[in-house]
Amino acid sequence: MKPLILIIEDDAQIRRFLRAALAAEGYRMQETTTAEEGLAQAQARQPDLILLDLGLPDRDGLEVIRGVRQWGQIPILVLSARGQEKDKIAALDLGADDYVAKPFAVGELLARIRAGLRRSSARADGPGSVVRFGLVEVDLDKRVVRVDAQAVHLTPNEYKLLQVLIQHAGKVLTQRQLLNEVWGPQHTEQAQYLRVYIAQLRRKLERNPARPKHLQTEPGVGYRLVTEDPA
Amino acid sequence: MASIREALLAAAIVAIATLASVLLRDTLAPTNLAMIYLAGVVAVAVRCSRRISVTVSFVSVAAFDFFCVPPYLTFAVSDYQYVVTFAGMLVVALVISAQTARLREHAAQAVLREARTEALYRLSSRLAGETRVFEAARAAATLAEEVFGARVVMFLPEDGRLSFRRRTSDQLPVPPSEESIAQWVFDRGHKAGVRTATFPDATALYVPLRGARETFGVLAVLPDAGGRIFAPQQQHLLEVFASQTALAIERTMSQRAAEETRVSMQTEQMRSSLLSAVSHDLRTPLASITGAASTLRSQDHRLPLETKQELLESISEEAERLSRLVGNLLDMTRFESGGVELRRDLYPLEEIVGTVLQRMERQLEGRTISTDLEENLPMVFVDDVLLGQVLWNLLENAAKYTPPGSPLELAAFENEGAVIIEVRDRGPGIPPGEEERIFEKFYRASSVNVSENVRGAGLGLPICRAIVQAHRGAIQALARPGGGTVFRISLPSESKTASK
Repeated sequence: MKPLILIIEDDAQIRRFLRAALAAEGYRMQETTTAEEGLAQAQARQPDLILLDLGLPDRDGLEVIRGVRQWGQIPILVLSARGQEKDKIAALDLGADDYVAKPFAVGELLARIRAGLRRSSARADGPGSVVRFGLVEVDLDKRVVRVDAQAVHLTPNEYKLLQVLIQHAGKVLTQRQLLNEVWGPQHTEQAQYLRVYIAQLRRKLERNPARPKHLQTEPGVGYRLVTEDPA
Repeated sequence: MASIREALLAAAIVAIATLASVLLRDTLAPTNLAMIYLAGVVAVAVRCSRRISVTVSFVSVAAFDFFCVPPYLTFAVSDYQYVVTFAGMLVVALVISAQTARLREHAAQAVLREARTEALYRLSSRLAGETRVFEAARAAATLAEEVFGARVVMFLPEDGRLSFRRRTSDQLPVPPSEESIAQWVFDRGHKAGVRTATFPDATALYVPLRGARETFGVLAVLPDAGGRIFAPQQQHLLEVFASQTALAIERTMSQRAAEETRVSMQTEQMRSSLLSAVSHDLRTPLASITGAASTLRSQDHRLPLETKQELLESISEEAERLSRLVGNLLDMTRFESGGVELRRDLYPLEEIVGTVLQRMERQLEGRTISTDLEENLPMVFVDDVLLGQVLWNLLENAAKYTPPGSPLELAAFENEGAVIIEVRDRGPGIPPGEEERIFEKFYRASSVNVSENVRGAGLGLPICRAIVQAHRGAIQALARPGGGTVFRISLPSESKTASK
């Protein structure tokens, strides 16, 4: 059966084109217009992915994320307004998987939906023991990293950071989430560490560190590891 | 204390005169000995108050009689001619005392007047440059402490009521309970407190800062040890001081009001020019979207497939243009209303550059962009999102206004402690003389001769400048040797050291 997508969005025009685009891809849909209704439908129908607008009439969209995360790991893709990095970070820190800034092109949205669905099915299997992206090959069992078949030495923290990024490949991780997972909860304010380590990883793994293909920055929000070539 | 010292000095002088006279009384005639005493009177009159010198005049005559006029050591006089001597001596001594004292008082007054003139001069020159009310009051209070040698604090009103919280000193030198006295002074515009009819038990003297139209605050002065502050001269000076301060505050406030009016007039003017520019720029894409969409709807079946594709393309392109314009307008408005808060941190520049290039892949398709970031460039202390936007706007402009396929360069290096970022193109260049104007809102370089499609609203560069300036940096456009333009951003050294 085709994946079921729950749309929580109050604007009728946006729902209209979402409906058209998702139907064309063959997804099944459930439309809701309020946070209340959205939460109820999420629990009742257990969709495969939730498309959530943050500006809802009855309650803050962030509360929907909080509500859903209390009982499940359904991927949540947030539709946010441009330039509101604070909201994006808050949504991601609460457990949203990704965001798309309005106005967005349908192609971009569909790509993010596909990635979200793929991640949730991959989560069930866990990442394979060897991960490849571009010229990079990471053997998670042996803790060996190769670039273009040449072994590359990473420091323990660099490796840990790469490992966390691989675990969440394709997903944006906020600076706070990364710092928390790599350095521990007491270091979540020390974003400079993170930037230095990301820069080092880029020098070791990217062909052109100034134009990274895989270790991408989401300005003002965090980082994302892109493991596939854009389709 | 001073008068006791003066009395002792006077006694000493009289004693010396007496001693000299006694030693000389066998060689000099008594009338000449009187001269010694008169010299003593002069000496006393020069140094001591009028009261003492008058007393000394009488004492000298008596001492002259007692020690120098036979029979010695009695006030009895053998020769009655001496009575004339005594009278003459007394008159001369008194005249000397009076005249000398008057001279002294004149001189003292002149000194005081000069001190006062100087104090007021210093006050007015200190206050002249002050554009903020509170700073003016603080400067005046500091100067008053120096001039009067007493603790002075000024209180200013808060929401129409005088408040001890808004004061010029760190500590509150008067009891908080006296706030009501200060309030009374503020309301009535009369002084009160120590040595006045109202609230004489207070710890301080409260003087209103009364300007031409209203009272701006209250000056409180704590009596100094000697109570010199209560001398009429000082009191007068204090009042002049208070009113000068009030006038300075009044001037500051009216200057600010004038400035605000000017700014609001300018804002009004800007708003209308913005409206006319924006309404045109908003309507054009809207018109093409509406036109294309309605064509598709009403004539769908009669249109060749190719035309339909074209119309659809124009809808999405125009929508994108509209979105960019609205975004720019929002940014500009936020910058101008001061609503942008920089979220600065230390970033490697290559990260910011990399993100921008990656996000602009589509816009920059078919272009060669070489990046040349100096090795070991220090981290920059910036808002990454905003600096990214600057680079985005510059690259977007370069892509728009230079021939397709012409190369672009992005370089960064350190120069005299500043980090310089350059975006270079090989386009037609900016007409000489317009390098500054292109950063003005809604300005488009006269040479720009591109189709309506790529035309922007003339906000990209002003936004770049606003962002760079918010970082205390500078941005300029330079002619590039060999043809083209260089946009140079210079971030000052403080931008790269974490001053958190």
